[in-house]
Amino acid sequence: MSDESKKAPYIVPIGPNHPALKEPVMFTFEMEGEMVRDVDFAPGQAHRGIEWMGMRRNPVQIVHLTDRICGICGVSHTFAFARAVEQIAGIEVPERADYIRTIIAEFERIQSHLLWAGVAAHELGFDSLLHLTWRVREQSMDVIENLTGNRVNYGIVQVGGVRRDIVPEQHQVIEDCLTTYEGLLGKLLNLFLDDKTITMRCRDCGVLSKKEALELCTVGPTARASGVNVDLRQDYPYAAYGDLDVKAILPDQHLGETHGDVYDRIVVRLLEVGQSCGIIRQCLSEMPPGPVTAEEKLAKLLAVCKKATGEAIGRVEAPRGECFHYVRMDGKEAPHTWKVKASSYSNLMSWIPMLRGEQIADIPIIVASIDPCLSCTDRVAVIRRGEKSILTKEDLHRLSVGKTRRLQR
Amino acid sequence: MSPVDLAAMLGWLVLLSLFALAGGLFLLGVDRKLAAHMQARIGPPLRQPFIDVAKLLQKENVVPVNAISAVFHLAPVIALSSSIVILFYLPVGSLLPVLGMYGDLVLVMYLLTVPALAMVAGGFASGSPYATVGAQREMVTMIAYEFPLAIVVIGIAWRLGAAGFSSPFALGTMAANPIWTIVGPLGIAGLLLLLLVLVVVTPAELSRIPFDTQEAETELAGGLLVEYSGRNLAMFYLAQGVKTLVLAAVIVAIFFPWNLSGFLAMPPWLALPADILFFLVKAILVLFFSVTLVRVGMARFRISQVVSIYWMYLTVIGLAGLLLLMADAALPALLGVGV
Amino acid sequence: MKFLPLFPELLRQILREPATNRFPAKYLPRTVTGFLKAVGEGKATIVPPVPTPPNFRGKITYKIDCCIGCGLCAKVCPAHAIELIPGTKQIRIWVGQCIFCSQCTGICPKGGLSMSDEFLLADENRYSENLIVE
Repeated sequence: MSDESKKAPYIVPIGPNHPALKEPVMFTFEMEGEMVRDVDFAPGQAHRGIEWMGMRRNPVQIVHLTDRICGICGVSHTFAFARAVEQIAGIEVPERADYIRTIIAEFERIQSHLLWAGVAAHELGFDSLLHLTWRVREQSMDVIENLTGNRVNYGIVQVGGVRRDIVPEQHQVIEDCLTTYEGLLGKLLNLFLDDKTITMRCRDCGVLSKKEALELCTVGPTARASGVNVDLRQDYPYAAYGDLDVKAILPDQHLGETHGDVYDRIVVRLLEVGQSCGIIRQCLSEMPPGPVTAEEKLAKLLAVCKKATGEAIGRVEAPRGECFHYVRMDGKEAPHTWKVKASSYSNLMSWIPMLRGEQIADIPIIVASIDPCLSCTDRVAVIRRGEKSILTKEDLHRLSVGKTRRLQR
Repeated sequence: MSPVDLAAMLGWLVLLSLFALAGGLFLLGVDRKLAAHMQARIGPPLRQPFIDVAKLLQKENVVPVNAISAVFHLAPVIALSSSIVILFYLPVGSLLPVLGMYGDLVLVMYLLTVPALAMVAGGFASGSPYATVGAQREMVTMIAYEFPLAIVVIGIAWRLGAAGFSSPFALGTMAANPIWTIVGPLGIAGLLLLLLVLVVVTPAELSRIPFDTQEAETELAGGLLVEYSGRNLAMFYLAQGVKTLVLAAVIVAIFFPWNLSGFLAMPPWLALPADILFFLVKAILVLFFSVTLVRVGMARFRISQVVSIYWMYLTVIGLAGLLLLMADAALPALLGVGV
Repeated sequence: MKFLPLFPELLRQILREPATNRFPAKYLPRTVTGFLKAVGEGKATIVPPVPTPPNFRGKITYKIDCCIGCGLCAKVCPAHAIELIPGTKQIRIWVGQCIFCSQCTGICPKGGLSMSDEFLLADENRYSENLIVE
């Protein structure tokens, strides 16, 4: 035993580019044999300065920038931003637009979770399941394309409503898709949860206890898989969710117990696909008639936004968890401040308790299990004279206090 | 041996080496195509492995700064040459082993470890943490599957010896006397278990999913081979193809040694190509069930799980097969005593 | 196959048609540009891409005659892809920069801008003639 502890740990770097990572982040693992003794990670490799670009554009332009913060949650960011601006400018969103936004957001959840399930299978070396789930996912992408015109950057949400209505002919398309998914869900659950090899790899691997999940302020499926009952759609309903009956999906509903491991995260995400189908179906039947946008003329909308002053936050339950936008406008064309907190930002820290004590083999699936979206997350990169510096907690606190003072003036 | 004999033998060896390279790449292509179709993809054309090798041969051969250059360059050569050499001791179609008089199945078993050891050496010499972890895993995997493999070889040879054949380990004997024909019903059950063991050992020998922990693309980014490029990687790729052919040939030689010319009367000039084609068909079938289907239908195991699978489950299955074979051989004698 | 539920599915799939759309050809041609040239000359056939959905947002079209040069389109363009040509009452659209949001077509008071169904716009040069609309 004493020999074991004397053995020097060796360092395995993973990232910023590595096949296990779909997006750039730098991990440094202190290994002991095959076991992870300690881990540190450094995000900030994909900073794109989107907020900076946004502060030089008007809100009507920014909604299309927000589409591009994340390739998967295309609508969540736009939705959150639009909600913030609508609160500042006092725009009342028509009810029908709320329902359409809900439908698109739920379709996005379906495709995002199926995408994640495929990636998780790939990380386990199970490529057939990746191809199968992605083939199934294609249908939701087709429906989204039919509804919005694009497969990825939907461009459907505008400040004050949505840009396209759902016409009666499209109901059939949506209905077909939902029927397919409701039929497929049982099969997907069987393929993922009954497969012995997946169970062997994912059960009790990457465990995040409920206490840790609460302490680290995790959000979305990552928190729910650890048994934390949080879901913005249930806790602070927005859009049409207030009229609908949405309950957070917890793993013990399906299996009767909560482990907080990778397996539970698969369970939660797959069950949410079924839940989303139900929500869309309910939205379709209850959708009221009426206009889909508060202000049809973009030029008028621009004028309204230009006059607006004040600050607001917009929160939306994205597929990965809570997505948070803070906007402050001061009567100019461009917002004075725009701050984005993507859902992965809250979840990243949960990697450390999850990874400690696990094997090298489990690193990819654990890292993928929180569905990280790093280019959404990277908001700050300090580079001066070609040198990168790291801001400590004290630095950040000092800067934040300074900024608050400036804003209050 | 007269000079003419020697020249003829050398000629055969060269021809067989070329067949090994081409056949191995062809089998890799078939594997990729079948896997793609199972995953609802079109997949690359059958000639894709040939294109890959041709391309790799043109690429720059990068050697990492902290690699041990000599070992790093030697490893692929040893891996490729040793895997080709194994084929010389194996029957291909109706072609008896060219070097059959110099070695038997035990030698083949030992030779099978040489490409793996070369890869381990190359991995340790790469000076990359991924390759080092991969090399450690490859050694562990090798230790894990060696025992079940030995059980299969010993079991079959022992049964042949019990049936009264003079050199039971020689592959010529196995080819001439299909093992299924000399055992009773108990023995067939035992043989099926041993076949299962050999089929499960094959993916580990070829480092394929679910036992590809040493290369594990998503974990180790290619593991052992992570630092290899250009000509060296092409040689490892060729070695992989040849090893695939060799493993198929081992299973075919032990369990399915029948030849087309044994059933259909045909002129001698047709017999050899027909038998080789039939051999390839058998090899593809064997590989489909032992490699392709398994690798697309399962998730990768952890290294600890690999070890427990081989040492616990497969060893038990192999020993059960061995016991059944022994019982099968002993039964007539016991009955004879009874009568 | 209770423990490995995917196996029956895989064996069924082996005889079925693959899901891949074979655009532009089943296997990668030796040279894509050469292949497209051969298609143009009628020597080869191209597998068509997936049809576009209704109201698809493809390459922008611009009716120069009805443009009054108000510049509203440039004001709402998120990507700054629209440029007012100085001295004239006309615009120039850099398709290489366009993000296909279709906001300009909505705001244009004369209805001079619209989105076509054309989407095969890959080019080696972002300033090629195909990628500038004026």
